[in-house]
Amino acid sequence: MIRFSLLGLLMLLSGLSQAAVNIAATVPNMGMLAREIGGEHVQVTVMAPPGRDPHYLEARPSMMAALRRADMVVSVGAELETGWLPAAIQGAGNRELVPGKKGYFEGAAHIKRLNEGQQADRSRGDVHPRGNPHFYLDPQRMATVGQALAEHLARLDPDNRDDYLSRATAFRQAVEEQLPQWRSQAAGAPGALLYHGEPDYLMALLDVPVVGYIEPKPGIPPTARHLSTLVGELEGRQGVVLYTDFQPGKGPDFIHRKLGWPTHQLPIQVATEADRDAYFAMIRQWVEAVQP
Amino acid sequence: MRTKPLSSLLALSLLGLAMGQAQAQENSPENHHSGGDNAVTSGTGFNPAISVILDGVFSRSSREVEEPAGFGDGDEHGHGHGHGEEGHSHGVEEGFQLREAELVLSGPVDPYFDMMVQVGVTPSEVELEEAYLQTRALPYGLQLKGGQFLSDIGYINKQHIHDWDFVDQPWMREFLFGDEGLSDTGVQLSWVAPTAFYSRFGLEVLEGDNEGVANYVGEEEVSLSSVNQNPDGTPQPVEFEADNGLEDKSGPRLFTAFAKFAPDLGYDRALQLGVFGGHATLYQEQEFHSDGELETLEGDSWFAGVDAVYKYSGGGAMGQGDFTLQGEYTLRTKELKFTERSFINSEEFGPPEEEVDLRFKQDALYVQGLYGFAPRWNAGVRVDAAGLTNDSFEGSEPQDAGASFRYTGQVSFAPTEFSRIRAQLSYNDLDHGHEDDHGHEPGAWQFFLQYNLSLGQHGAHAF
Repeated sequence: MIRFSLLGLLMLLSGLSQAAVNIAATVPNMGMLAREIGGEHVQVTVMAPPGRDPHYLEARPSMMAALRRADMVVSVGAELETGWLPAAIQGAGNRELVPGKKGYFEGAAHIKRLNEGQQADRSRGDVHPRGNPHFYLDPQRMATVGQALAEHLARLDPDNRDDYLSRATAFRQAVEEQLPQWRSQAAGAPGALLYHGEPDYLMALLDVPVVGYIEPKPGIPPTARHLSTLVGELEGRQGVVLYTDFQPGKGPDFIHRKLGWPTHQLPIQVATEADRDAYFAMIRQWVEAVQP
Repeated sequence: MRTKPLSSLLALSLLGLAMGQAQAQENSPENHHSGGDNAVTSGTGFNPAISVILDGVFSRSSREVEEPAGFGDGDEHGHGHGHGEEGHSHGVEEGFQLREAELVLSGPVDPYFDMMVQVGVTPSEVELEEAYLQTRALPYGLQLKGGQFLSDIGYINKQHIHDWDFVDQPWMREFLFGDEGLSDTGVQLSWVAPTAFYSRFGLEVLEGDNEGVANYVGEEEVSLSSVNQNPDGTPQPVEFEADNGLEDKSGPRLFTAFAKFAPDLGYDRALQLGVFGGHATLYQEQEFHSDGELETLEGDSWFAGVDAVYKYSGGGAMGQGDFTLQGEYTLRTKELKFTERSFINSEEFGPPEEEVDLRFKQDALYVQGLYGFAPRWNAGVRVDAAGLTNDSFEGSEPQDAGASFRYTGQVSFAPTEFSRIRAQLSYNDLDHGHEDDHGHEPGAWQFFLQYNLSLGQHGAHAF
């Protein structure tokens, strides 16, 4: 009797684990993409919440628990999560998720990255020698990564290959559908002063010139001297100041007072359970913000 | 392992060379792939990841800071405990001090193993702090570690200087285990359970060479040169040499176990609770006095403890609003036979003059809190206690040692995640309630300034 119920339990457990590919996504935007591409075949846990700077997270036990049970980790890559993901994967002891295995997916490996190959010298701040990792605010690149993710998922779960690929195509089509509208809305925007390089890809996509950064160097908080230099450079020009929910507003407010440029504090990550529509809505917020 | 300053220079320059190569590789055009299936995470670029951590301290104290009562070798009787080797001390000296330059190399060896080597270089010596391999391909959440490593017992034991939230380590780590904590050679098997909350279990089988819980001397000759007087008054040199009578026992002599649990408290909060314990099948000390008297202690030891860490991170800019509370407690007992013997002739000790079973039982704990009061700034307080239970002996005489307390506050500024400067003030209330030989409460103030910088590619920190 006991043996029978044990067998039943085992079957139940293995049945459960086969029902879905268990995915641990690093940030909410990657979680959204995994859900869009995987559909009902995947179950997604997001390790880092929205509203946090993904550079400065710490490997936490809850991440390790999620990674221990995961079949696949879906990360941004290009060193964005370097401060915590390697430690979390190691702490999880899950051999399927180490780089090079089928269970490891890094979005940045599948796109052309901005600023790649810049000098890896930290006197220039917290630079990423592998290029700007923040492609997740660029819907077009997200579509490219989505295609790669579909292929990757198909290797783990070949039975649902067609479904993954058609979902990736659907995501791309939805992006292409929105893109002309976003572009026309942003057309002619005089320029954006950013806090850090997160929106670089999106600005390039929308053809909005990036006129500078509030940070004097990546990862270094604004100084009074740098801000006055910016004011001197941008005096008499039109533009907007864009920063994200975890960046302090002091520097942007200073620019606003001196130049009269509107400031917008906007999210760069969707909610943890969000879908494609929520992601597009977030992109729309940025699109609307670039016109002064 | 002690070497001359020259070799530390050599090690540093070799490292520089290696880093230069890594940089060159990084900038070479063939590495500028875009797209493709490659991972571009760190650790693939630099292989291995190489970093240098530089730690320097300036300190002043109101008077000489002694060990907590009952934990020292005791200044007044100047014991030499005959430790086989003397590691370099992470303790702090007066004035300016370059505590160490740590060289860290880590990375995957092949699909089956990760390797990590950490070398501590000080102006006077080079010491291997950790050197181990760890499996990356075992199934079911199992991991095997082998080599010389810091034990995973408790929370702070396996942290290096640059992980500490204070200039110095808690008394618990320093005085129950030693300057380097519980660091030993052996193997560790650990298992992360596939549970909804994080749980990890581990067993360690270690050589057993740790001054705090598994001090090992082994069988050796002790010798003494003396001068007798001939009947005619001329001096007659005499060599005394005999076996110390201690057991020689090859390892493993130390066994530890630990378990850690972390319920999922959402994104803002994390809590980890741990229990741990260990048993050394052999613990030995010897003390050889200049009058030819040999005192030995031999037996076994146990320790057990609990640890807890709570972290709150509200997502403020650069650590603002983050809060950490952590504490650990360890109890250590040693059941040792005390033996005192003297030379009866130049080649042997006589029968024991005194032989008595002693039971040492001591504990220590610390609780510390850390708060990010502004972006890049944090402040912390720590309370150390040692000897709340304090059954210790001097020779075979019970020591009347009370508890000791230390109160510490620190403020630190981290311009980036790669650099930190810190100021710290401590008050040591040693042997609380007892007066020292001069009729004073043996208290001491200590002030520190510290910098800690890391250069290069450093592996992500574990929780």
